[in-house]
Amino acid sequence: MSGHPVLRAARSGVTGRRVQAAVIGLVVGVSTAASALALGLIIDANAPFDHAFAAQQGAHATTTVDGSKATAAQLSATARLPQVAAAAGPFPETIVTAQVTIPGVLGSLHLPPVTLAGRASPGGPVDDIALDRGRWAQRPGEIVVSRDMPGPTLQVGQRITITGTRGTPSLTVVGIGKSITDSADGWVVPGEVAALRAPGASPAEQMLYRFRSAGSPGAVSSDVAAVRAALPPGSLLGSQSYLTVKLQATSSIAPWVPFIVAFALIGLVMSVLIVVNVVSGAVVAGYRRIGVLRSIGFTPGQVVAVYVWQVAVCAVAGCLGGVLLGNLLSVPLLGQTARVFGVGSLAIPVWVDVAVAAGMLALTGIAALLPALRAGRLSAVQAIATGRAPRPDHGYAAHRLLGRARLPRPLTVGLAAPFARPARTLVTLVAILLGATAATFAAGLSTSLDRAELDLSHSGSEPVQVDLGAGLVKAKLGAPRPPGTEEPAAVQQRAVEAALRAQPGTLRYVAEADAQVAVPGIPGGAWVRAFRGDASWTGYAVITGRWYHGPGEADVNTYFLTATGTSVGGTAAITSGGKRVMVRIVGEIFDPENGTASVLTDFRTLAGVLPGLTPRQYDVALRPGVNAGRYASALGPVLGQDLGVSLNGTDPLFVSLLALVSALTVLLMLVAGLGVLNTVVLTTRERAHDLGVFKAVGMTPRQTIAMVVSSVAGIGLVAGLIAIPAGISVHDYVLPAMGHAALTGIPPSLLDVYQPWELALLALSGIVIAAGGALIPAGWAARTRTATALRAE
Amino acid sequence: MNLLVQLSDVTKRYDGGGAPAVDNVSLEVGHGESVAVMGPSGSGKSTLLNLIAGLDRPTSGSVHVGGDRVDKLSETRLARYRRGKVGMIFQFFNLLDDMTVADNVLLPAQLAGVPAARARARAAELLAALRIERHRDAYPARLSGGERQRVAIARALVNRPALLLADEPTGALDTATGEEIGELLLDLNSSGQTLVLVTHNPDLAARYASRVIRLVDGQVSTATGAR
Ligand SMILES: Nc1ncnc2c1ncn2[C@@H]1O[C@H](COP(=O)(O)OP(=O)(O)OP(=O)(O)O)[C@@H](O)[C@H]1O
Ligand SMILES: [Mg+2]
Repeated sequence: MSGHPVLRAARSGVTGRRVQAAVIGLVVGVSTAASALALGLIIDANAPFDHAFAAQQGAHATTTVDGSKATAAQLSATARLPQVAAAAGPFPETIVTAQVTIPGVLGSLHLPPVTLAGRASPGGPVDDIALDRGRWAQRPGEIVVSRDMPGPTLQVGQRITITGTRGTPSLTVVGIGKSITDSADGWVVPGEVAALRAPGASPAEQMLYRFRSAGSPGAVSSDVAAVRAALPPGSLLGSQSYLTVKLQATSSIAPWVPFIVAFALIGLVMSVLIVVNVVSGAVVAGYRRIGVLRSIGFTPGQVVAVYVWQVAVCAVAGCLGGVLLGNLLSVPLLGQTARVFGVGSLAIPVWVDVAVAAGMLALTGIAALLPALRAGRLSAVQAIATGRAPRPDHGYAAHRLLGRARLPRPLTVGLAAPFARPARTLVTLVAILLGATAATFAAGLSTSLDRAELDLSHSGSEPVQVDLGAGLVKAKLGAPRPPGTEEPAAVQQRAVEAALRAQPGTLRYVAEADAQVAVPGIPGGAWVRAFRGDASWTGYAVITGRWYHGPGEADVNTYFLTATGTSVGGTAAITSGGKRVMVRIVGEIFDPENGTASVLTDFRTLAGVLPGLTPRQYDVALRPGVNAGRYASALGPVLGQDLGVSLNGTDPLFVSLLALVSALTVLLMLVAGLGVLNTVVLTTRERAHDLGVFKAVGMTPRQTIAMVVSSVAGIGLVAGLIAIPAGISVHDYVLPAMGHAALTGIPPSLLDVYQPWELALLALSGIVIAAGGALIPAGWAARTRTATALRAE
Repeated sequence: MNLLVQLSDVTKRYDGGGAPAVDNVSLEVGHGESVAVMGPSGSGKSTLLNLIAGLDRPTSGSVHVGGDRVDKLSETRLARYRRGKVGMIFQFFNLLDDMTVADNVLLPAQLAGVPAARARARAAELLAALRIERHRDAYPARLSGGERQRVAIARALVNRPALLLADEPTGALDTATGEEIGELLLDLNSSGQTLVLVTHNPDLAARYASRVIRLVDGQVSTATGAR
């Protein structure tokens, strides 16, 4: 077979055009990698919850049963109900309050109430807990915490002190895990749970079920009803459907989908374009050789075979390399995305690898086959003539016009070059345009994400909070207060304010209280943040309207307006405990809050409906230049053991998203640069003889490089200029789409992100791509021996 | 005699081994001389001319033209040397198809950074002298062979080179046109232009060259003086 003339001709074709072959392989490779990554992201972004839920045998229902009313035997019996496919439990369960000390940095932090379950192992037929780090709890005193436990991020080896129970036992974190349905915030060995319960609390048991049919909320609730009926009346305390968890999980994913899709689409279109350009260009460049092959007796079919085979060798190599590269890149990128999505782990599905490789090969095949078929039909003489035909006339006029320009001759010769081959110029232009558009979009998106992060984390406006939570928890637990003493909360607040005023570095502070209230039209009610004092500086971005000025006025988030059907300027009724107050909505604020309604208002607005409202925390702004971490660690000891100081930090998820944006942008610009490189290689090869003439009459290496680079620089400049409005349009389209998915409007500050100097720089990105892709072949052109070039053709 | 070109023990061996294309050649050309290089096909005539023109480098030996040691110049200096000190014309003209006659002629001057007005004046003067000014805005593809070679000569002379190299300038032309080009070169030489001419045509060599150098297998066989 190796002696077959077709294969021999193809092989010599590949080695004879090593650069072309390498470019085809590289372009197909990078495009395959980018497409696999992009498609993998789209797929994973669409169904990460379902993937993780299936992988971890997630519970369709997580139920809590009163252990004093139902016996263990009765609970086990529910596993045999016809509706139940699998069950796990009973696991003892309790809700505890706890605090942790993070050594060196902060005072002791109070955790929000957390649910602990007693389980001997992470596995089982239902709710297989994914262990991120460490190991499972093996003896009393050990705890595995959920990755998504509310409060600060805990590390293996840290200690948690359980408050509100006898002896304030302390637990050591031995592992970090994740239940896909968040069946608990932490797990200990079963025997430990009783010791952690508040004195006198009745024993609760957790039962986890997978049902035979659980596709809809109705199906799940009728399944749960069957379980309830099988247990003693009133013993089923509560149940949570996996659909609720899924809704929450997907609403936090949803905002990222439009941006990922936008990037993936740009990547796919670019890959297709450049692969077609490179491959068909290679075949067209080979026309003369085709003529020679025909003249020595190759049949049309054999000629087609030679060219398709030539391209296929490079394409297959490129595809395999690309799939490998894509999967390698996906490890860090999708790994971080998995954390964004809050699910176990993500990878590029195998079928995506196969589909992308097959698609890319088919595309390459078609791109090679069409011109090859045409070449096969050409007669030998025609093919040789086509290969060396003088360039079309429109190139000549451009030369003449540009020749008059007051520019150095090498530049004007280069600038006229694109007109000689309009089709190739257009494809190159589109490739650079897409690369530059991606760069413009990415630049704007990272600024927007940066600002959104600042707006959402409030880390710029009020980096430090003093947490008064302990006081509230104590009040809730009904800690007895000696008669005649002042309410402890007020004492505490006065002490905190005195400490804040005394602390160097404090700029201003405001007390904030939170409460759940009912609002007609909003099923779950709304979350009110009431500030005692001016809070306009706390960093909420206003989408429309203004910040509230006094009691009776309120700002609400977009979801609140959508759910109630009101708009800025309207009024809303806030109800709690049977009392109601009407507020005037004066502004819409950027506060996505995972799809819940939120209201910001003055503390006094709620005096009528929530008379007992106490501040939960103080928000603190610092003087310019004060380090938040150092301020917090200085403040912690002053405030004492009972109060927590926490920091608003940059969310690591945003950092990983920015990494994702940059990685994709770099890949896309690389593909664009390779497209340019290919164009320039093709053109300089075709014009090798002319290059020899230029050099023979005295063109220096530097002038040669200038000429070759300027032959694409013009295209790059035009592409860069078009890319500016194109990139801004993509940004202005994708950002509101992201907001829409997150049920929020977008403040102007997130849309208005392009600075004039930044736009000027971005306009140059097209030239950068063009020059980057042209420099290497320009160097080759400058180095070829003149005598050799003159002999070419 | 005032020397313009001096080759000492020049050998050029192309990659891939085999016999050298130019083998230990030494020769001298004086200012104002007209030298013809003759020899069978493959004897190394073009290679020799390329070495003098600085289009290629010898494997060993030295090439001096004017004050320059051509074989040791950097690529950039070589380019300046080619554009300033030598003009070269070829059998197949080597004009740029997508530029007009005027633009082709102007090119070496523009690359050398000659002020535009001066370059244009010089080009007009040459086009007139070579009797092709009415084609100044035409493209080379529309011209006859003789006209194209005149354009090539004009281009070679635009920067007033000390040395004019011609590689079979009449090889692609019919006899009458060849005669015309030959006359042109003779005129140039009599007005002082140094000329090295490669030709297969013994007639041409005898009539227009003051000296004939014969190459066989890359070596100088005999050098005959006087025409
Ligand atoms: N670039 C090159 N690479 C390899 N060999 C070359 C190259 N150029 C010339 N040769 C070889 O060097 C030898 C001399 O070639 P050259 O072109 O100088 O001969 P020539 O005398 O000009 O012939 P002709 O009269 O046919 O033009 C030949 O054997 C040729 O094959
Ligand atoms: Mg020759």
